[in-house]
Amino acid sequence: MEKYQVRNNIRKLRFMNGEMTQEQLAEKAGVTRQTIIAIEGGKYAPSLELAFKIALAFSVPIGEVFSYEIGDTQ
Amino acid sequence: MSNRKISISVSLVSTLLILGYYLLNLILMIRQGDLNSEDVFRLAAIVIIASIVMNIAGNILTTIVINIIHAIQTQVEKEVRMVEDERDKLIGLKGTQVSYVAFSLGVLIAMLTFVFGQPPLVMFCLIIFFSLLAEICGDLAQFYFYSRGS
Repeated sequence: MEKYQVRNNIRKLRFMNGEMTQEQLAEKAGVTRQTIIAIEGGKYAPSLELAFKIALAFSVPIGEVFSYEIGDTQ
Repeated sequence: MSNRKISISVSLVSTLLILGYYLLNLILMIRQGDLNSEDVFRLAAIVIIASIVMNIAGNILTTIVINIIHAIQTQVEKEVRMVEDERDKLIGLKGTQVSYVAFSLGVLIAMLTFVFGQPPLVMFCLIIFFSLLAEICGDLAQFYFYSRGS
């Protein structure tokens, strides 16, 4: 059975933005470093507001940071 | 271990200590055949007040110690960000939900003892016991959700 997942390019975007650290991104987005780690690892799907804040931190549209794709098949 | 997990650990340890103190005193009272309402109510009041005080004091001390350790490790006098973001609030709410279910079940069990002929004092003791147990269940649930990610 197909299951959709929220995927992200945060790690890639961090390195493309002057090797931004997770702590720096967390400060810009107003969350903890652990939350950024959880989002990057695909363990936590952020709220819409947080997703926009992260996109704003990278100065890119939200669609370049997050995508909703088919994940693991069962 | 994140700052939030440290706070939950402190809360868990303090609640376990209070539960241990409560059970020890209760068992001593039962063994001495001295289970009277006045002593039980006094014990319950001590447990509830101790729980509140230890939680507040624990949180304050945790914040201070984290800041001291951070200052020693980084050699910078910058205050550690103790932010409670959306994920922390979500996990906190899930932990509260687990506590609520555990406490509800405990109250049901306590009331059943009364229905089946036990004195009201037994019901009261069980309610206090399950309130502490529910707090522990909530903290453990938060640990589980943090390890899972959400």
